[in-house]
Amino acid sequence: MNTDIYITGTGQTPFGEHWDMGLRELMDSAIDSAIKDAGISVLDIDLVIVANMLAERTSDQAHLGAMASSLLPHQPPALRVESACASGAMALHTACGMLESGKVETVLVVGVEKMTDADTGAIASGLMGAADSELDSPSGITFPGIFGLIANRYMYEHSLSRERLSAVSAKHHSNAMANPFAQFRMEVSPEAVTSSTTVAEPLCMLDCSPISDGAAACILSTKHQSSLKIAASQIASDTVSITQRESITGFKATKQAAAKAFAEAAIHRNDIAHLEIHDCFSIAAIINLEDLGYAAPGTGVKLYENPGKQTINASGGLKACGHPVAATGVKQIIDIGKQLKASGKRYGLAHNFGGACATCGIHILEHTAV
Amino acid sequence: MTSPAFTSRYQKEVHRKMQKGNIVSFTTVAHPAEGFGSAPLTIGLLELEDGTRAMGQLIHSTSQDLQIGLQVCPRMRLTRTTAQGLRIYDVGYEVLVGKPVEQETLKEFPGYILALTGPSGVGKSTISRSLVTMFSDYVTASPIVTTREPKDGDDGEYTYVTEEAFIKMRKDEEIIAATQIPSKDEKRWYGYRATDLEAIWKNESIPVVITEQNLLQELSNHYSRRSILSCGLLPPGKSKRAMLSQLLSRLRTRGRDNEQSIADRMRNAEEDLDFFTNRSELFDHFLVNEDLETVIETIKGHVLKTKTV
Repeated sequence: MNTDIYITGTGQTPFGEHWDMGLRELMDSAIDSAIKDAGISVLDIDLVIVANMLAERTSDQAHLGAMASSLLPHQPPALRVESACASGAMALHTACGMLESGKVETVLVVGVEKMTDADTGAIASGLMGAADSELDSPSGITFPGIFGLIANRYMYEHSLSRERLSAVSAKHHSNAMANPFAQFRMEVSPEAVTSSTTVAEPLCMLDCSPISDGAAACILSTKHQSSLKIAASQIASDTVSITQRESITGFKATKQAAAKAFAEAAIHRNDIAHLEIHDCFSIAAIINLEDLGYAAPGTGVKLYENPGKQTINASGGLKACGHPVAATGVKQIIDIGKQLKASGKRYGLAHNFGGACATCGIHILEHTAV
Repeated sequence: MTSPAFTSRYQKEVHRKMQKGNIVSFTTVAHPAEGFGSAPLTIGLLELEDGTRAMGQLIHSTSQDLQIGLQVCPRMRLTRTTAQGLRIYDVGYEVLVGKPVEQETLKEFPGYILALTGPSGVGKSTISRSLVTMFSDYVTASPIVTTREPKDGDDGEYTYVTEEAFIKMRKDEEIIAATQIPSKDEKRWYGYRATDLEAIWKNESIPVVITEQNLLQELSNHYSRRSILSCGLLPPGKSKRAMLSQLLSRLRTRGRDNEQSIADRMRNAEEDLDFFTNRSELFDHFLVNEDLETVIETIKGHVLKTKTV
């Protein structure tokens, strides 16, 4: 990073079904918690960046930048970014760029998604916007279907059994027990995962992250210091359609963003203590661990069977915390921050991707005990 | 997206997807996307013959055991009807399983077929007849199976059958390439039988076929594109309009058709010319039929070159 960027304050709503809250209330709640946590004057916020993917489809609402700005007394300049499920990381990355340029000193990033107002069909077709409308959608496929294709191919190439795959969701649910912000705080056995309804062969319902409402906010500042710094912020892209890739069992964007992020932070991957990875579907978690270099291709599942040096999705991940699409990337930063403060360790990594990893955003956080 | 304009732009993609391939991965989606019905849908990621990949619905019977690596054949099928009632067709892929591999390889033509494609009046029949007469050692015209009435000008190139018989033969896969050429008063079917083509090759001769868009496409789907030496015949002329007027004058001179039939042919001819541009991958050579001798010599050159290879 070209300058020290501190995470001054964070806040989020619990993820879940918030029938009493719209986009405005969700953002307001998260922003309020973040400002309280930062303990700074709200007037110090120079810019608001909103991450959101689906508001036009689910709430007939665009123009979320101005809406978020109007929640603050001085109505600072505001903008909205979108890159499907990676919108959160993209908003953080945009904020880092603005802070590095020196144009602003304190930025409020808020990721928000309101998914339970729309019916599942509309949500499914909205989410397909993260795939290719000409190359993928005409087949009638849904996003679980795309990851069904990926999972089936992965299981074929690496002889991964359905039973072993179930360890992923079971572990995430178990982790979420300790997270008050998680949507599903309950133990789920691997057997229950395997025997849940098939959604897109070979993936079952409990392999898939749920539909959720939620918002997460984060105040980044070059002026107001804290014990948490952003050591790296990197993004990478790949083809939107998986039909244009040579391999679908590894994601190029993750590999590229990870290499750039480790270089930027000038650390080795083994220096990381906590990982929050994008487990929109169980198979994605396994592929992510391999792409990040923590496991050889075909062996990612072993880290769920025999934990390695890094904690993986200690928050519960997307599966158990819920996945209000654009809020996820911001929420991962909040969780890594909490985990570093609790463990006293130095580095944590948040990995957030959009679509079938057509966009990947990676942030490395550095914790220095004050 | 369901607007007619979107669907029309998307047709280009359909042409690319019209290839054989094999399954890279597949999944059955319990709840397909909106508009695709409520029944589970099996969708495959396919590696096509030209090396590109595509996603498409898989057509298979429930008794078939789907596997990665299996071969598929493209088939156009109705995939959905939009809320506005627009019926959308897309390429689906029929899974070729349950059939032994040997039977599949038989579908590959043992040699090659010389196909002449071009708009009506460009001289396909004349070139075919001349080739067959001049190089009878090398090439033989394959009989065209048709449902149309015999005409005076016919020269033994047709096998006449009834429409019912034609449709049955097509269903039984005796006829492996067929097309329906519309005219004002009737629908005429034309097609080629696998047995005719294969018999000519067994006789150590090269079958010559006269094709148009559908016949050429179906032949290359059936025997694979590699089995076809495909020549596109163009009328002389610098522009499409010049080419079309050249065709019109040829059709009038040869006097075989009445004005009504000429009008039908001209309508189809314009499409045929566009086909050359849109589907250039289906052709090996484009020849301008300025004078017969030159064209015959050129084709002879290509045929002999291939024959010696």
